[in-house]
Amino acid sequence: MTKHAGWWYGGVLALLVLTSLIALMAGTEWLGLSQVTWAVSHPASRAFVTIFSLRLPRILSSLICGGSLAVAGALFQAVFRNPIADPSILGISSAADFFKLGGALLLPWLPGRNWLMALVGGLIALTILTSGRALTDPYRLIIVGVALDATFVGLQQLLSSGAAAVSHSTFNGLTWSDTATLLGLGVVGLVAALILAPWANYLKLTDSALKNVGVPVNVLRWTLLLLGMYLAVSVTAVVGTIPFVGIVIPNVARRLVGHDYQTVLPFSMLAGAWLMLAADTLGRTVIVPSEISAATMMAVIGGPFVIILLQRGRGFHGMSTR
Amino acid sequence: MECQHVSYQYPRQTRGLSDLTGVFPPEQVTTIIGPNGAGKSTLLQLLARRLPAQAGQVVLNEQPLNQLSTRQLAQQVAMVTQHHQLYDELTVREVVATGRLPYHGLLQAVPANEVTPYLDMAGLTSLADELIQDLSGGQQQRAWLAAALAQEPVVLLLDEPTTYLDVHYQQQLMTQLRQLAAKGLTVIQVLHDINQAFRVSDWLWLLQDGQLVASGTPDDLRDAKLLGRTFATPIEIVTVPHLGPYIVQLPD
Repeated sequence: MTKHAGWWYGGVLALLVLTSLIALMAGTEWLGLSQVTWAVSHPASRAFVTIFSLRLPRILSSLICGGSLAVAGALFQAVFRNPIADPSILGISSAADFFKLGGALLLPWLPGRNWLMALVGGLIALTILTSGRALTDPYRLIIVGVALDATFVGLQQLLSSGAAAVSHSTFNGLTWSDTATLLGLGVVGLVAALILAPWANYLKLTDSALKNVGVPVNVLRWTLLLLGMYLAVSVTAVVGTIPFVGIVIPNVARRLVGHDYQTVLPFSMLAGAWLMLAADTLGRTVIVPSEISAATMMAVIGGPFVIILLQRGRGFHGMSTR
Repeated sequence: MECQHVSYQYPRQTRGLSDLTGVFPPEQVTTIIGPNGAGKSTLLQLLARRLPAQAGQVVLNEQPLNQLSTRQLAQQVAMVTQHHQLYDELTVREVVATGRLPYHGLLQAVPANEVTPYLDMAGLTSLADELIQDLSGGQQQRAWLAAALAQEPVVLLLDEPTTYLDVHYQQQLMTQLRQLAAKGLTVIQVLHDINQAFRVSDWLWLLQDGQLVASGTPDDLRDAKLLGRTFATPIEIVTVPHLGPYIVQLPD
């Protein structure tokens, strides 16, 4: 933990509160602080409906999604020992999206269909990613991941040309039931990630160094990998694929609060939640009454960040996974 | 620790070890020497159970190594290698703390008071919160050694521990290994420098082409013919004042 970590935690918490307030007020119709407090005690008013049925579920959903994606990214980076590994860039999320779409077409009667299918997709992508030689070399991993991502995006387009239900990766139109699903899935995964944070630290050592001290490397690796996958596909199942949160946030977190995953993970969770909320709030207010989806906002913010990270930062100097 | 008819063959290679039998005397410093490709590092890997013996077995205190659980093994055998061991930043304290992992559950934190004695012993207390990447080669080596000692092993294995050290640190390390052996630790190392091996060891293993050519005390093995044959180069043993016998490789 760096000297200023405490300040950064304070800062991100303050930003979270501030942005949440703004997000409650801003929208097609601007509601001042007094109107918001008035609405709370008037459940029959239009302002109440706007806030509690439209804005609040959307705010909570983007918070939990941002936190989940950031933590999923940090876990993938720890496991693959590669600072730009992340479920979205490695094709996990698009595989989940593709299977979700396939499920909607073929198994419309299946209960919990979206989540189950997304999980299957995530597992299949993960299996492909880890079965070959991609793990031996960080560049190969990213290239295989990007190819996997392109394949599943293509398959999805192939399938969706005949279908009506295409995912748009947006928080627009989320209901309380979607929010409840996201919260339930996300909180379980995030709590597990915080508990398992020391394992992410252990994986900074090579496999052979870990074996020397009797640590079951593969148990650690697969637990964290499956957990990261679970967090990412849970977001995909409800909202869709949102790129780059998992790359941007953990890398900023390491700069600000140090490399200890016991501080990186909680900080990533908070900062990811904030970034997602800020991006979504901005996206739905800049071109009122229309809006820009969260995925588009993140692509615009995250793409340049990754380019800067790789062109100027230390990149993945000296890293390989085995 | 001892080897009983141990063999190991690398897949698709002629390299390997064949039918090694011999002992590593307890509480002494044993050094494995031999030309490149003789199987020194392979043997060390087998002793650490990082490679499985394909025939025969490695026995520690009359118990075959492969009957131990990973955790039991880590409580008895520790290894220091020269390969880089980190993908990301860790402080010296965190590195040394990894040596205590065999004694704790995977989700338990290692108590600080179990780490400090080893930091003190390695003279790293003032550097404990520095990143290990920022330390000099000698200091890094000391930190990894401290981590291995924190495992409280019966046997300490070292693969060419002097490679990245200057003469001063080499000397310091060898003195430390002798002290550890005197306190009851069995030390087994691979060294390239034959003279250093003869000077610091209680016992030597001489390997050639995956076979044990000879083992014994330095005095037993200080034989110009034997060494010359093993290393395939003419060797003479001279006596240097204040130093004693010294092995010299003669030009062909």
